[in-house]
Amino acid sequence: MKVSIFVTCLVDQLWTSIGVSSVEVLRRVGCEVEFDQRQTCCAQPAFNTGYLKEAREVAERFIKIYEESDAEVIVSPSGSCTAMVRHYPQLFADDPQWLPRAKAIAARTHELSSFLIRVLKIEDVGASWTGRLTWHDACHGLRDLNLKDEPRTLIRNVRGAEFVELEHADACCGFGGTFSVKYPEISVAILDQKIDAIERAGVEAVVSGDASCLIQIGGRLSRQGSKVRVMHLAELLSQRSDG
Amino acid sequence: MSSEARQVILDSIRAHLAASPSYDVEPQIFADERESDPPASVNIGGLFKQNLESVAGHCIITTDATDVLRQIITDLGVQRIAVSDAPELAEFGVVPGANEIFSFDVGITTAQAAIAETGTVVLDSSCERNRLVSVVPPVHIAIVAASRICATLADALAILQSGKELSPAITFITGPSRTADIELTLTIGVHGPQELYVIIDESS
Amino acid sequence: MNHLSSETFRENAKAALADTQLRGALKNATSLFGERRKQAAASLPNWEALRSQARAIKDEALSQLDRYLEEFVRNAESRGAKIHWARDSAEANAIICRLASDYNARVIVKSKSMTTEETHLNQALEAAGMQVVETDLGEYIIQLADEPPSHIIAPAIHKTRGQIAELFTAELGMPPTDDIGQLTGTARTTLRNRFATADLGISGVNFAIAETGTIVIIENEGNIRLTTSLPRVHIAVMGIEKVIPRFADLDVFLKLLPRSGTGQQLTTYQSFITGTKRNAADEGPDEVHILLLDNGRSRMLAHPVTRQSLACIRCGACLNACPVYQQVGGHAYGSVYPGPIGAVITPQLMGIQKTSQLPYASSLCGACREVCPVKIDIPRLLLHLRAEISPRKGSLAERLAFKFWAKVMTSPALYRMSAVAGRVVQRFVPISRAWTSGRDLRPIESKSFHELWTNE
Repeated sequence: MKVSIFVTCLVDQLWTSIGVSSVEVLRRVGCEVEFDQRQTCCAQPAFNTGYLKEAREVAERFIKIYEESDAEVIVSPSGSCTAMVRHYPQLFADDPQWLPRAKAIAARTHELSSFLIRVLKIEDVGASWTGRLTWHDACHGLRDLNLKDEPRTLIRNVRGAEFVELEHADACCGFGGTFSVKYPEISVAILDQKIDAIERAGVEAVVSGDASCLIQIGGRLSRQGSKVRVMHLAELLSQRSDG
Repeated sequence: MSSEARQVILDSIRAHLAASPSYDVEPQIFADERESDPPASVNIGGLFKQNLESVAGHCIITTDATDVLRQIITDLGVQRIAVSDAPELAEFGVVPGANEIFSFDVGITTAQAAIAETGTVVLDSSCERNRLVSVVPPVHIAIVAASRICATLADALAILQSGKELSPAITFITGPSRTADIELTLTIGVHGPQELYVIIDESS
Repeated sequence: MNHLSSETFRENAKAALADTQLRGALKNATSLFGERRKQAAASLPNWEALRSQARAIKDEALSQLDRYLEEFVRNAESRGAKIHWARDSAEANAIICRLASDYNARVIVKSKSMTTEETHLNQALEAAGMQVVETDLGEYIIQLADEPPSHIIAPAIHKTRGQIAELFTAELGMPPTDDIGQLTGTARTTLRNRFATADLGISGVNFAIAETGTIVIIENEGNIRLTTSLPRVHIAVMGIEKVIPRFADLDVFLKLLPRSGTGQQLTTYQSFITGTKRNAADEGPDEVHILLLDNGRSRMLAHPVTRQSLACIRCGACLNACPVYQQVGGHAYGSVYPGPIGAVITPQLMGIQKTSQLPYASSLCGACREVCPVKIDIPRLLLHLRAEISPRKGSLAERLAFKFWAKVMTSPALYRMSAVAGRVVQRFVPISRAWTSGRDLRPIESKSFHELWTNE
């Protein structure tokens, strides 16, 4: 299957290994991966902050770029960005010209773990990683895309990994986009509940499907000098025993 | 002044509804799709008792309600007993005037219906003078005929609505009064009764 | 005590975060409520169907609100109730004060009503020289403390037993004790004296049934039964959105509301009041008045997204589930309606002038939407409000920043340059203290993914 990858602006600028790992995993399971150099952002920051005009400009660009691709699906290693694209029909609800185009692109866009499990029906990507780890449910992936079992299934098939369910795995990490800097004290107070749960779980790594959550969680863990590392699901799945 | 306000408010409602873009309302799920009634083999009285006891109410199922009532009164060791105007209760106490209602230790009423799925007794004030007697004294004893226990809350609502117009005051009572307003710690007995006894009379 | 304002939400929140006692109380309360709700919902296999059904009933009622209100009024009046309409808080308070004065009400007892908190009724009655006492234990506590409620269903949730004990000792002369049973007993005894002599009872309304003209009020303590049956006059105050079409509809809501609010299968008492008593000698008030309040609710009907705000049945489940509320509590919002539902209805009821921070005080996690018994899409509402506020009230810097952001994101050349610029900026300029005061920031990659791909 031909996949056009949308790495997200956050991955592009701040965490390229998520993009690299995603490509690797997709190729390993037999996909042809295309990367359109014109890609930038899904428009989530503007949409979530209430700047719909600016959000539409950026969303229109996203739609135009991917309409030109002959890839069957667009895959993204981000639940929140995928959820944003799924919201394009809402963004263009009053625009008869763009609405059908928005719907078409939304229907073609999948989050990585969802693509592997629900579309390709693959639960084991041949990964191995030794250690004790846990999973944080990123909010948009969980509640907008119903991703709960899919990541856990993929993780459970990682050879050598000891999976521990996090207490309140589905509690928000406190990022919330601009919320994290508009209300930083509240953001960190919420984050600390997550950090406490992670410490109690006694794991070496926290895995999640969204770079934004990992930057939030990782930022606090490192500030506190914690040995716990943060890892994106794609990074975990790209690990091999020989690599 | 109020009729002007009425007109302004209704006009505002109509105007804003009319201005609203239409949208897809979620498909209707019809009212008769509800959780299944307890299977016929389930003892309705037993289910009622189970539910009432789970909220700290007392429930006695008997064919001799009078005897049980006497026993409860004896065990409580109380003197001042208020009753509703139900004829069968006359021998047990007095029907209080509104000014005296705070001077009693126990209030006894019948109940016009009961609900098994929740352990609720239903008091209809148009059938019996039960409104204050059932809430002011610290102990309330209610006697209900077993035949008047219905399976579900929906059944009870239907029964209340059948026939003539709704009574001016109907009360559902499920256990003794309670609060968790202080540190979410459950305390039984606040403004309403601290004890509730329901006697299920199987004799008829 | 100075009641906090929505305008200072940011400062309020900071102060709340520094209050360890408050945070402890909040953590216990919200996690307990949340657990109980979860178990109660799980005990009903058709929970999801009930939610859909409840929302459908509310949508039906709201889409023809004028018709159902008129039906309710017609039926209630035919049974002897007197109906009053109030366009806003001031009018509502004036009507009630006038009635209280007409009836020479010397002792007024009140049961919990968020609508009367919204209108600040108690202040108006006191300003008119009348004494009114709250009889719900939580409301009684905050009345003594002169504080607003901090939670929709458990108004004094922010107070420890020690704080309540001190309050009772100071205000009621109660001998010092830490025992919750004794505290409750003190309140019971004190309030019984008021009930015995009250000439006016004021209550709220949970549901108003159009088909029968019935008002339905639910509780655990028994104070509503006493408030609505002992005094000779009863005034029930309701927002216009409380009306539902049919008596039978109550089954759905009575299954959802207690479970969502406290995790109970059913609250201890439900009072179904239809008009006035039939005979003068019967028990109960001689007069029943019902006041219908708009105060901005009718405006919310104008858009499908905002209309769902009116579906709220005031269960408080969203508060308990909200990570923001869990950390800062209800007072920080500066409104009688805090938490997620408060963040969306407060700006709509009060106007966005003084409440504009509230829709942004959310990480959009969606936990509220998940627990709402009537499926209100609160995140969608928050976004709707943000889209109304930002373009008009956002700071100039922010509006320009997003305009610039859109330019960068739609131009490959600018985007490439911004990546380079970002690396330089982050190196030499301490990035937003807002982030870095609590968290480390990931450094910008020396090569973007775009650049890596090109090199492949």
